[in-house]
Amino acid sequence: MLGVDRRLLQNFAWSLFALVGVLLAAGIVNLISATATYGGGTIGISDEVRRQLVSMGIGGCLMLATLLVDYRHFERLALPFYALCVLLLLATLVIAPVTRGSQSWLMGGRIQPSEFAKLGLVLVLARYLHRNPPGEIRRLRDLIRPGLLAILPVGLIVAQRDLGVALLTLLIASTFLPFVRIPWKSWALVAVLALAGLATLWSFGLEPYQRSRILDVVDPGRDPLASGYQVIQSRIAIGSGGLLGAGWTDGTQTQLRFLPTQHTDFVFSVLAEEWGFLGAGLVLCLYLGLLVWGLFVARNSKDGFGSLLAVGVVGILFWPAALNIAMVLGLAPVIGVPLPLFSYGGSALVSTLVALGFLLNVSMRRYVF
Amino acid sequence: MIDPGRGSRRLGAGVDAAVERRMPFVALGIMAVFCVFLVRLFQLQILEGDDLRRRSESNSVRTLRLEAPRGDILDRHGREIATTRPAFGVQLMPSELRDPDRTFAALGRLLDEDPEALRAAYGEPRGRARFQPVRLRGDLSLDDRARIESHRFALSGVVSDQRPRREYVGGDVAAHLMGYLGEIRRDQLEKRTYADYRQGEVIGQSGVEKRLEADLRGRDGGRNVVVNVAGRVLETIDEIEPEPGHRVVLTIDFELQKAASLGFLPDVLGEPAKMGALVALDPRNGDVLALVSRPAFDPNAFAGGIDAESWERLVNDEWQPLQNRAISGQYPPGSTYKPFVAAAALQEGLIDPDTREFCPGHFRLGRRTYRCWKKEGHGAVNMHVAIVRSCDVYFYKTGLALGVDRLAFFARGFHLGRLSDVPLPQEKPGLVPTSWWKERRFGEPWQGGETVSVSIGQGFNLVTPLQMALAYGAIANGGRIVQPRLLLRVEHRDGGVVEGPAPADRGSVPVDPEHLLRVRQALRGVVQEPHGTGGRARLPDVEVAGKTGTSQVVRLEHTEHLEEDEVPIRYRDHAWFVAFAPVEEAEIVVAVLVEHGGHGGSAAAPIARRVLETYFAGKQQPLIETDLAMLASPSDHAHHEVLLAGR
Repeated sequence: MLGVDRRLLQNFAWSLFALVGVLLAAGIVNLISATATYGGGTIGISDEVRRQLVSMGIGGCLMLATLLVDYRHFERLALPFYALCVLLLLATLVIAPVTRGSQSWLMGGRIQPSEFAKLGLVLVLARYLHRNPPGEIRRLRDLIRPGLLAILPVGLIVAQRDLGVALLTLLIASTFLPFVRIPWKSWALVAVLALAGLATLWSFGLEPYQRSRILDVVDPGRDPLASGYQVIQSRIAIGSGGLLGAGWTDGTQTQLRFLPTQHTDFVFSVLAEEWGFLGAGLVLCLYLGLLVWGLFVARNSKDGFGSLLAVGVVGILFWPAALNIAMVLGLAPVIGVPLPLFSYGGSALVSTLVALGFLLNVSMRRYVF
Repeated sequence: MIDPGRGSRRLGAGVDAAVERRMPFVALGIMAVFCVFLVRLFQLQILEGDDLRRRSESNSVRTLRLEAPRGDILDRHGREIATTRPAFGVQLMPSELRDPDRTFAALGRLLDEDPEALRAAYGEPRGRARFQPVRLRGDLSLDDRARIESHRFALSGVVSDQRPRREYVGGDVAAHLMGYLGEIRRDQLEKRTYADYRQGEVIGQSGVEKRLEADLRGRDGGRNVVVNVAGRVLETIDEIEPEPGHRVVLTIDFELQKAASLGFLPDVLGEPAKMGALVALDPRNGDVLALVSRPAFDPNAFAGGIDAESWERLVNDEWQPLQNRAISGQYPPGSTYKPFVAAAALQEGLIDPDTREFCPGHFRLGRRTYRCWKKEGHGAVNMHVAIVRSCDVYFYKTGLALGVDRLAFFARGFHLGRLSDVPLPQEKPGLVPTSWWKERRFGEPWQGGETVSVSIGQGFNLVTPLQMALAYGAIANGGRIVQPRLLLRVEHRDGGVVEGPAPADRGSVPVDPEHLLRVRQALRGVVQEPHGTGGRARLPDVEVAGKTGTSQVVRLEHTEHLEEDEVPIRYRDHAWFVAFAPVEEAEIVVAVLVEHGGHGGSAAAPIARRVLETYFAGKQQPLIETDLAMLASPSDHAHHEVLLAGR
């Protein structure tokens, strides 16, 4: 099981690996600008960039380490890992201090267990669906058990008051839904129930600031200095980028610090302002390439578990990217979801790289029996 | 139903058919989402982007924050205690500073300041956002401002600004009551209460400014403007007006507050000012009329951001000017404790008010001798005389008869040793010792001699001036411990008024009204009768009741060989005086503590008298200035602008 076969190296998806490398490099270059300080005419490298590089090193090592193990062993490890993630989430709830309204950091703010819970959830769902193939799932009631698997971590994240990440985790779990064979009438019923649930949440479950963030998407001019401020400033930044962009470290919106949380949630606005439509569009295309590649890996996998695992990884990459970019472009409410590989944040980067490791793993073992 | 036989499919069975069939649709879905993103990006950057790009090419769009002025704080008659006025400042924009030497030299000439001092205020450029302005001076005179404005073309990178500045009318008169402002701290930013605050924002850090932060804080506005390279505003794109904070009306009587504060100043020029605290409140409803703590600080120094050096000085000052002694200074009550001992003994039926005890000037218990403050003794005294002349021996005996725990029960009944929930931060509870407490604290049983000390308010007893005012208030009002109130009402900008909490009682004391009446008469005697110790608080037209007290700071042995004025200040006794007036139907209680002031009758009583005098003088003449202040327009505050700092 351990040890690297020569055939594995031959089948290693070097171009996929390179694509990830290009995105990572672009992310770092962009982060340098987003956190740039002025020091006598030269651009200073901020502590955030240094920490991000360290996280990248850790994530890269973990990613390569997971490649050594045949992914089929992950199926056995899925349940213990999932249980560990749930325990960590519980621990966070009990011992972690509340910061900025939510409570989601362990070890003095160094580790965010909810990031790793996504991996655990994808592993355990891939395992479940491998044993109960999605083609056999024809009734809503068949979704109850996998649904419970998803609800447990999501509920714990909701209890941490981190609604954005909770929603994200739920969406990642939903990546598997297109593959089950449940008739559209049942979906219609689900849709009605979901709408009712959302209406309830809207009236009772959301803090006023969360409600106003949703309203801001509909009408950003509503309150330009409070929550709408972020949306407006982000739009100005992106718009002023034009075709070619203002140039690296020369975006005024960015350097004037008009952009809210520009090194985390709004990092894409920095990219769009400084690199323009060409740069931002290119990054979007690279992202799309990565996702489609992931689906190819899923399709060409030699077994069901590998294929489902790859689908899950695509979900882990797609949903935060889609939510983040939609938010930055003013198409979705402002929820604190980082852009994978670009936003500053150690736990997110490490967990994303580990997920990409899973993808590479499935890809390189597609011919090995 | 899922076939259990399939539950353990062998590895290598291939991709599930359903997954394979639906994969293209999923891929199409993802592509569709990204197409939407690309189209949106195209719309924002290519179609709508032109206009914005032109502006950004000349670095010209800025969002100015229009800082909202804090709400005024008024006294009960509408007089301003804290208000907000516009202050002009000058800022430098690092990115536009072309020739630092010339700019600092020119600014130095214009402001008549050392260019090097200005450069020091600007600081090191390292590690700073290029487009973030740095404030050099925060409080320019109108002349300076005009000079800067007229030379703006020659000063590239120099921006003048205007922002509201807090002003406390009496300087340090109401320092501890008002508290002070300060930039929000990192740990505060993480708290839920401050969820919608930004870094760099200025908030109330103590006193009323802190407790009523939510009411006083306004809502910042903002303005998007186009500026040229020199920082001149060419055009306003859009603007949101700031909303000033609400106006807060306190129960304080500012004239009384001033009189109380002045009372601590020396009578003779050159003598050191007195230290201590004063609380005046209305025993009928708990309205706090004045609250003073000395030494004080000038909250105005904090309004424009206090410099590190002054702050260090305040924090490290030996006499702790930042501490609010009125609510968090804990002192032995000394003889001001005696009325509670008397009330307890009367209620328990241990003393007959008319029975006399003989005071030979000392009292023996076991092998120790406890002295009365009057060496030659008071002779035969009954309860009334014992309070009027503050005879210690009478109370040694009474205290022993009660025992420490019964005494503690009554002291706690007067809410000593308990927080009063006055709406100010950092209130301390004081201490009422019991035998159980001592056993737990020191692991030793209670000694009879300690009861002797406790019954004249020495020993372990600790009270705050506020607690004394409340407890004497209960003697004055027939037994009710009132809830101290500070907030009368909040007047909203839209004309709405939110009343403060209604007057309420925290409890009633476990002593019958007829016994309280006896104590009250004795307290009247302290001030009004010929041999009373509080004669200095006497007023011409109103009868005053009160009690003096002197509480030891160190044991007598350390200082008894010295003459009174040879004792080092920090070893001198604390002086107490607690008074109320009129004796029946009292309208005001005043508790005064003078730290290291010596005797209560001479050091503290005159301050109380001054406050009482001011109170009753103010009642006689209508307040004309009050009506004028009420008519003043609430909305004439100028807005002011600050560049929105990076967050």
